[in-house]
Amino acid sequence: MAEAQSRPEGSKALLWTSVTVVYAAIMLFPIFWMASMMVKPNDAMFARPTQWLFMPTLEHFSYVLEHGFHWYLLTSFLLCTVSTALVVIIGTPAAYAFARFEMRAKDDLFLFILASRMAPPVCLVIPFYLIFAKVGLLDTFLGLTLAYMTFNLSFYIWVLRSFCRDLPVELEEAAALEGWSKPQIFRRVVFPLLRNGIVATAVLCFIFAWNEFLFAFMLGGRAVQTLPVSIPKLITSQGVRWGEMAVVGMTALLPVLAVVFVLQRHIVRGLTLGAVKG
Amino acid sequence: MASASETITPAEGTVGAPRERLWYPYLLIAPSMLMLVVVSLVPFLYTIYLSFHAAKFGRVTDFIGFDNYAVLLTDPRFWNSIGVAATFVLIAVPVEFMLGLAGALVLNQNVRGRSILVPLLFMPTMMAPIVVGLLWKIMLAGSWGFFSYNVLERFNLLEGTSVFASPEFALYALIFVDIWQWTPFMMLAFFAGLQALPTGPYRAAAVDGANPLQMFFHITLPMLTPLLAVIGLLRFIDAFKVFDTIYILTGGGPGISTETPSILANKMTFEFWNIGEASALAVLVWLAFFAFCNVFYQVAKKRLNAF
Repeated sequence: MAEAQSRPEGSKALLWTSVTVVYAAIMLFPIFWMASMMVKPNDAMFARPTQWLFMPTLEHFSYVLEHGFHWYLLTSFLLCTVSTALVVIIGTPAAYAFARFEMRAKDDLFLFILASRMAPPVCLVIPFYLIFAKVGLLDTFLGLTLAYMTFNLSFYIWVLRSFCRDLPVELEEAAALEGWSKPQIFRRVVFPLLRNGIVATAVLCFIFAWNEFLFAFMLGGRAVQTLPVSIPKLITSQGVRWGEMAVVGMTALLPVLAVVFVLQRHIVRGLTLGAVKG
Repeated sequence: MASASETITPAEGTVGAPRERLWYPYLLIAPSMLMLVVVSLVPFLYTIYLSFHAAKFGRVTDFIGFDNYAVLLTDPRFWNSIGVAATFVLIAVPVEFMLGLAGALVLNQNVRGRSILVPLLFMPTMMAPIVVGLLWKIMLAGSWGFFSYNVLERFNLLEGTSVFASPEFALYALIFVDIWQWTPFMMLAFFAGLQALPTGPYRAAAVDGANPLQMFFHITLPMLTPLLAVIGLLRFIDAFKVFDTIYILTGGGPGISTETPSILANKMTFEFWNIGEASALAVLVWLAFFAFCNVFYQVAKKRLNAF
């Protein structure tokens, strides 16, 4: 504590920083451990006591590739990209309209959107399953894309609206005085200012779709298998393939790792549905 | 902060000629609303329809009024699932809340390297829930799981078996996993709130000689309360929905000791194919969610001036 008195600010920063670093290290240890299991041979994996050192192996990777898991990765990527693109195309004008214009029953409409977002997926999967079975959307790419709209379109409108409201309305008013039409104002004034918000919200939508399990599991069937759905497949009748699970799990985690670093502040805003401006 | 959200703000909507205003916003929202009607309202109404019909094995037959509800409400398994969910939420959310607040206060000190630490701390929350489940399946695996061997067995808590196979402790293990996954969310949302607080009151209090504890209880906490309420409520709603992690870790077992309404509805649908009763359950859950959702909206709008 003698040091603390001589340089209080510096050592306080050191103290709190080390507290945070230690906390983060403990919290993230399970992820590190799973990562190490990707290259851990089976006998070392099941060793008691825990074995820290081992000869790395690539057997889990080769199993995963031999069993076509890269196709699930591709499916996941395509599905998330397409559904997110659709959300951005139809959701952006709606978010703008909700932020800027007066409408009848706007509050009720908005609450309906929130309710779509909040609805438990388990409740939705029942009617989806039966309706999809009737109209032939079960086990199809299109069916899953539609199902993802429930949570992602509502999420997107809700959060992007909060970005829209941060824009100064004066610019649009000035453009209107110049005699620009509304589509022109949207394209040339609003859109450029909104671009960061759109990207941030869309990336979050992508991640939600990427992480989604229940819809893909129940509605995708054998035809459309995403990465999360492929994980329980590794619990086989001959036992659980832990190393392979670790490989698939870490693959599913990589885009998330990239996103948390790139988006940082926007994540808080997104996850709180715009209630907190990160 | 957005301008007065409690009052209607016609000034915001005055871009362009009045006559044009009538249809333009509706045109903008039409595709989205149409889509949401198809993927959200229609399924909801269809679920209500199903809940009033005898529907087993995918075949919908007679209208049977409230029979499905009667069966459901007298089913001890249903009440068990409510109890499990209540235990889960009422332990997990308050713990996440307290830990999150404590963490946010630490992070709000002069911590260096936040631009690296904050994203890393966010990892558990942003991961796929199914991967979170996988992670803890590995850590808590019977006998060889890192956490099982090095922590639980050290304290003679479990010998050789996984905690998820224990009827007494499986639920608490799931709660533990939820806390691991969601405390970062609370922490970083609260941290964002702390960062947005004005510094004026603190300087005034410092002049008056207030100590840090007094500042926390008389300045920080009152100013942060609306935010705490909104975030707590949001998390509360979300915690009821948890499915993926439970599904992969215990699947509701052992027995029905970790069977939440979500897991039960899923089993009723895809294992017992008792769609009528599952729909009745879904409708009840849905209605509860609408109520929570409305409260969340009102609180967030009025107290936080958000939305």
